Amino acid sequence: MKLNKRYARSIGANLPFYVSASVLTMVTLLMFYLFYIAGTGINAYGDAFFEEYRLEDATFSTYAEIPDEDVPALEREFGVTLEKERFAGVDEGAYRVRVFVPNRKIDRYEIQTGREPASDDEILISAGYAEENGVSPGDPVVIKGKTYTVAGTFLRPDYLYMVENVTDDYKNVTTFFLAYMTPAEFEAQFGGGSVNNKVVYGENADELAFRRRVNDRYFLSGYLPAESNMRITFVHEQADMFVMSSWFILVIFPFLTVALVCILLGRRIRAEQKLIGTLSAMGCERSRLMLHYSLFAVIPGVVGGLLTAAAALILARPFGSIGLADYEPMRPDFTLPVWIAAAGVVVPTLIYFAAAMLRVRSLLKVETVRLLSGQVGSDAKSRRILSRKKTSVRRKFAVRQLVGSPGRSMVVFLGIFLGAMIVAFAFSFIDSVKAVGDQAHGEFGTFRYEYVLNELKSGRPSGGEAVLALPYEDGDGSRFTLMGLDADAKLWNLTTVEGERADPEHGFYVSTLCAAMFGVHRGDEFTFRSIATLEEHTVRIDGVIRNGYQSYVLTSREKAAEIAGLDPDRYNAVLSDRALDYAGDEVAEIVSDTTYQTQMENMMRAMGGLIYAFMIIGVIVCIASLYATINTMITENGHSISMLKVLGLENRRIDSMILSANHLLLIPGIALGTAAAYGVMAWYCAEFVEIERIMIPATLSPKSILFTALITAGGYAASLLLLRRKVGRADMIEALKDGRE
Amino acid sequence: MFIEIKGAKKQYGTGEAAVYALDGVDFSLERGKICVILGPSGSGKSTLLNMIGGLDSLDAGEIVVDGQRISGLSQKARTAYRRRSIGFVFQFYNLIPDLTVEENVQVVAEIAEAPLDMDEILAALDIEKYRYRFPRELSGGQQQRVAIARAMVKNPRLLLCDELTGALDTRSSRSVLRFIEKINRQYGTTTLIITHNEAIAGLADTVVRIRDGRIASAEENGEKRSADEIEL
Repeated sequence: MKLNKRYARSIGANLPFYVSASVLTMVTLLMFYLFYIAGTGINAYGDAFFEEYRLEDATFSTYAEIPDEDVPALEREFGVTLEKERFAGVDEGAYRVRVFVPNRKIDRYEIQTGREPASDDEILISAGYAEENGVSPGDPVVIKGKTYTVAGTFLRPDYLYMVENVTDDYKNVTTFFLAYMTPAEFEAQFGGGSVNNKVVYGENADELAFRRRVNDRYFLSGYLPAESNMRITFVHEQADMFVMSSWFILVIFPFLTVALVCILLGRRIRAEQKLIGTLSAMGCERSRLMLHYSLFAVIPGVVGGLLTAAAALILARPFGSIGLADYEPMRPDFTLPVWIAAAGVVVPTLIYFAAAMLRVRSLLKVETVRLLSGQVGSDAKSRRILSRKKTSVRRKFAVRQLVGSPGRSMVVFLGIFLGAMIVAFAFSFIDSVKAVGDQAHGEFGTFRYEYVLNELKSGRPSGGEAVLALPYEDGDGSRFTLMGLDADAKLWNLTTVEGERADPEHGFYVSTLCAAMFGVHRGDEFTFRSIATLEEHTVRIDGVIRNGYQSYVLTSREKAAEIAGLDPDRYNAVLSDRALDYAGDEVAEIVSDTTYQTQMENMMRAMGGLIYAFMIIGVIVCIASLYATINTMITENGHSISMLKVLGLENRRIDSMILSANHLLLIPGIALGTAAAYGVMAWYCAEFVEIERIMIPATLSPKSILFTALITAGGYAASLLLLRRKVGRADMIEALKDGRE
Repeated sequence: MFIEIKGAKKQYGTGEAAVYALDGVDFSLERGKICVILGPSGSGKSTLLNMIGGLDSLDAGEIVVDGQRISGLSQKARTAYRRRSIGFVFQFYNLIPDLTVEENVQVVAEIAEAPLDMDEILAALDIEKYRYRFPRELSGGQQQRVAIARAMVKNPRLLLCDELTGALDTRSSRSVLRFIEKINRQYGTTTLIITHNEAIAGLADTVVRIRDGRIASAEENGEKRSADEIEL
């Protein structure tokens, strides 16, 4: 059919539209692809690694060590796999090391570089630290005064997210690492060391019965199920977050983009109504015309989809690697599933095809005479706006452009909205993470140091305030800390969400994080159990203390001790406003007032690339969508633009008539896009409570709002600037010829 | 002379497809006169009008209007020239569909240095009562009168009319020509009309015939008649 010769010719004439529509389709689909690839890649790697290296179901410690000969009997009786893991902590000043004897059954390691130690002078170290600090096989490392040679680096399944303490909120691979020594060397250096027990429950194993037996015989001092161990859960939780984000992105951005391209396609087809009318008048069948225009419409879908698939193949590895920033150096296989790639081409293509087909169909329902006169789609009512008002024609024209074409105005608005939303979301993420660093310690209290001790002490510490802090869990095994303070405690934050001072001497209080995690409120009864004895306790909650970073139930030291079955003067943590002199082996963990800030700074450093990539995508979406829309607007107004030039109006004046009306959309577009971004961030932060176990305050600073507005307005101005040339190039002679049609 | 054209050449296309729309046109016109340019389709008359109006540029030759050399002007200078000096009237009116009658005229008045009174112009062209109507709500004759009002409101030195009656019936054509005549008389506007219609030549002070891009003849009209006298 000769008509089909228009394809090649028309593509050239409408190249800016096809390019911008294809870029829009590509950029938004790419965001979905990359998040999806990162999430599924990490999940698949985690599943395989956990299975191959036999991930624990729980780690526990006992006051009395389980004798080696009891292990097989426990395994048989309860259908579990049990292994004792020997370890020791060493503080070398510049770095801290947790040294292990290799396990045989549970949480085995995988060599990443180098080889197994061949002698007692060789060690393996964790791969994340080695990579971060440039330590390679053959390099020396000093532990407890002895220089060892690094034989290789490793990963282990219960340390894929390298938090030093399970209560930390962000990894530490700069000053903390794991090491494996030969059993003989470990014995020589540390004697027996400390012991943790690793357990994997069989299919029919009774976990509670096993824990009761262990507690009865060996007195449980700690029990940490894998699902409460952030070093383990983080793998799937962050990956799930990527996958969830990908579907969220898919629902919001490609949907809006596809809708935007469909609107533009519809308008472009409407602009061809005279030709459609002519062809119809000449007897061209409806189905043929529908097919003809629908094939034009598939171009952005096919090109965008194919470009996306190609870009995803190229970017999957580098982008996925950004997603890996928080983990130990895992090597997931980031691949784009064929069905997703195919869907990325087929779905938008079909939607564009259908949109064009429906538009032509609706046009052909109109009388041919109206098509030939080009009157379809003109809104006579909106034209009359301000027609009797004494104001400048430029203003009247601009207002009619805006109100008279709600679809077109909506598309411009969507472009601004989308761009502002993505940019503001990126800023909000940065602000929220910074807010954690800035606010967290203030919500803890006024102490500068918190010393978590390795053992229970009695009485009152010198130079600090005593705290009894014990892990408890709810019926689902989710953890929190039962905290006991003295009546005269001053260093812990006791301000409730109502702004009152909590009275732990006479009641029980939960932190806001604890309240969110367990769904308890003031006046509720909260039932929890000891992780050792599994004994249940129910307390009435008298208030909520503002602290979104720690999950705790707070009461007096006496009441906490009573619940734990301890003497009332026992404590195991000390708060102080100055550094205290504790021996290294007395302290399990030190939290300082800058700990959170440092952790959040590390987090931003690791995730910065992802966030700024997101921001750039926002700017591209903004420019591409506005370019496509305003380009269509100029095409639609081509005749008027040319005529205004003939009449002697300068380009600047024509610009202001045709384009300036859209400036009005900048303010609501940016305002609503920014508000939407804040809403999305608030949702994201709420999801974070489950994953990261901290309440990140959704934050968007005035400075970020200003930058969002400037960047979005900059993108808008850039697209206008690109298109101003098009106004300047409008062909006056051709426009006069058009007028003769 | 108000208009002086020397050796004007314009070629469209290249090689075998090259068409000489103007092939060495020499022509002049005195101020305040009505000139009718006659010629068949493709003779180059619209191209000549576009060149005089500053819509397009010559390949060679020179056009001087009221002492100002048009050929060789930059785009910006040509825009200023059109704004200050030229009023256009086209066969198919080329009114802006989104603007009312009043606004179509006002858009030009707003950019003119010394616009005429808009109400006076609308009254002179007998379209005052349609001022709030949109172009598609008017007949062809009425639209053409709006186009004339739009061209005249800036009080141009030169009015260029391209087949201004080509789309009109006899009655409307006569009415429009009456207004052209009236404007020429009332404001002394030099007027250049290009047309196929030999009858319109009766209005002219000068009649130019153009063929294949060249001036075939240029004569003073010794039998000038009014719009009511010519046979359309």
